Amino acid sequence: MEVEVIKGLKFQKKQDVAIVGAGMTSFKRRLNETGRELNYYAVRQALEEAGLTIDDVEIVVLGSAPDAFDGVHMKEEYLSDGAGGFDRPYMRYFVGGGTAVFAPIAGYFHVASGLADVCLVVCEEKMSSCHPHPQSAFKYIWDFFLDRPLKPNLIWIFALEMRRYMHVNNVKHEDIALVSVKNKANALDHPCSHVAEKITVEDVLNSEPMALPVRRLDVSPPSDGAAALVMVAAHKARHLTDEPVWVTGVGWSLDTTWWTNRDLYYPRYAAESAKMAYKMAHITDPRKQIDVVEPYDPFDYKELHHLEGLGFAKKGEAPILTKEGVTQRDGDLPVCPSGGLLGVGNPISAAMGVKACEIYWQLSYRAGKRQVAKEVSTGLCQAWGDLMQISTVMIMSNKR
Amino acid sequence: MAVGKRKIECPLYAEGTAVSEEDIKTRKVTHYEDHPDIRYSWTAGQAISRFLNGLKEGKILGVKCDGCKRIMVPPRMFCELCYKPIDGWVELKDTGTILTYSISYIDPDARPLPKPIVVALIQIDGASQNMAIMHLIGEIEPEKVYVGMRVKAVWKPENEREGSVTDIKYWKPLEG
Amino acid sequence: MIEKITDPEKLRHWGGKIELYWVYTSGKAGDLFFKKLKADGKFLAAKCKKCCWIYFPPRIYCPKDFSETEYLEVSGEGRVRAFTVARLDPYEKELKKPEIYALIDIDGTNGSIIHLLGEVNAEEVSIGMRVKPVLKPKEQMLGDLTDILYFKPI
Repeated sequence: MEVEVIKGLKFQKKQDVAIVGAGMTSFKRRLNETGRELNYYAVRQALEEAGLTIDDVEIVVLGSAPDAFDGVHMKEEYLSDGAGGFDRPYMRYFVGGGTAVFAPIAGYFHVASGLADVCLVVCEEKMSSCHPHPQSAFKYIWDFFLDRPLKPNLIWIFALEMRRYMHVNNVKHEDIALVSVKNKANALDHPCSHVAEKITVEDVLNSEPMALPVRRLDVSPPSDGAAALVMVAAHKARHLTDEPVWVTGVGWSLDTTWWTNRDLYYPRYAAESAKMAYKMAHITDPRKQIDVVEPYDPFDYKELHHLEGLGFAKKGEAPILTKEGVTQRDGDLPVCPSGGLLGVGNPISAAMGVKACEIYWQLSYRAGKRQVAKEVSTGLCQAWGDLMQISTVMIMSNKR
Repeated sequence: MAVGKRKIECPLYAEGTAVSEEDIKTRKVTHYEDHPDIRYSWTAGQAISRFLNGLKEGKILGVKCDGCKRIMVPPRMFCELCYKPIDGWVELKDTGTILTYSISYIDPDARPLPKPIVVALIQIDGASQNMAIMHLIGEIEPEKVYVGMRVKAVWKPENEREGSVTDIKYWKPLEG
Repeated sequence: MIEKITDPEKLRHWGGKIELYWVYTSGKAGDLFFKKLKADGKFLAAKCKKCCWIYFPPRIYCPKDFSETEYLEVSGEGRVRAFTVARLDPYEKELKKPEIYALIDIDGTNGSIIHLLGEVNAEEVSIGMRVKPVLKPKEQMLGDLTDILYFKPI
């Protein structure tokens, strides 16, 4: 039994945890299927890949973002039957956008603790139900006295953060736009993608202004979709596959919710969450020890911001990695080989399909056309959410 | 099926039926529309009530913590770092510095605004570093705004103030 | 201790409304169900290919064993399993005429739906009573649950 301590945390586990199957639906602006049906598609694929049936599942984790998108209050209850959630322990986990990686972290607890040997993790989002626009739901996360009277759009906080990042680190918009160009092009190889296209830096810089510096092509689109993962104990994994992918570290951290009191140029929360996961996974030099990364990229600058927070680049230097092609699929540190949220789509929690699922597929060499050129053994996925102050990290390896 | 080395491509399928706004409008796809009427009354609490009452009098109020020595705005009843009650109220200046800003072309429902507006995080003079509030910037061409710019609050006339953040109409460049 | 506001007039509040509305698609199975109802006035159910459980309204999958289903037509008639008489509307205002809501087991399926009962007085309703659906005139149908006006005794 391993025991390590970080800020008083003890990383004890009863058994090792492997991922043996994953699935996801198409990500689209609007899908006809109900949330339940989307869950069914994703779960069936994940079980098929794992070689299991729903009867083998012992416990179910559901990840889903605010009820206001689907327009179903307590939607975990509504969604449960497509997620295989009844007649077995079932629980919803929710940390805004961070759910995309927090749901698999919760799946990890359930198995690592010895509570269950087979855990199904399901994430769903149907943003298209919300009108007049999915962004309208975000009106209600603002402080009602300090922010709402100013009639804000959620994009404002990202625009403010992006400007601060650009100002402090002297980064140009054209350097940031390269991320959008890369991810949207990567997504051309993803069968589920929503907004994959070949674009140029000029296209980004000339796209419709939303809240400058943020323009249309700097942002990922709201999407409908679902994703699923099957997580099992080591002794189960041995029987199921020769290519399990092990979860070697998890971490998460929250910064203050007084967001106007933080210096937005650097994501401290990402650094703290990474510290926890690195300690657990025995990683001291992420740039050398991690082969492929899926940081949360709802905006192009966020990929850079997170790469710096996660320690893959010094403050202000992530744009250099991008410019030099290091983060391309054939580069030394492929970043968002799936196409990410910018290319495949952003169904909040179901972004698990391009974060945790993608790292699993990359490490088991099943990513097909999206497979990165270099040999891979360790990968990291990360998500970010709430009022932009939570970061969730999971590290996986194909070596135990 | 999962045992053994295989060369499969994942995800195995891309399932889901995309529908367009047009399909909904023309009822090509069956659907149900619901307009619930849900109303709320939000209470401001001690700290924000006093802050809003201060705005009505044309004052920006902050709080101080003797533990971490911070002067905080927006005010709160407890210091989240020291996790103890705050130690008193402080009147701050109605001037500040732009930490970051955005030129917004869209309203809360992502509809285009008639004219772009400038929104900024303004670090308030008299408060600790990075203690900012979000507010609007006016009386300047959006392109001329910059990080580090000094600004001053433009208040509504006293009889029009109602104890809201909109009692400050916007912040304008501070001359000199 | 820091001085607190005690005058309730000085404590602030703000009233507001959640100005959102939602458009729900009926989904893959739901879309077929409502389109069939609208086009032919007929009802669809779905049978699990593995455990043979028959779902009404239909689903594309069996939530119990996750296998696929096949569609079949049913009459839409059924039996009242339970009912309630509503005298207040959702805003707790008295209704002019009480409304009877019933849980109806649909013949030939393992499923049931909740709907209004009509052409019957509350005193005459009994559990086990046979009922059949009354549909809107075809040209007024929208493709949602209100296409069934109510169920009436057979």
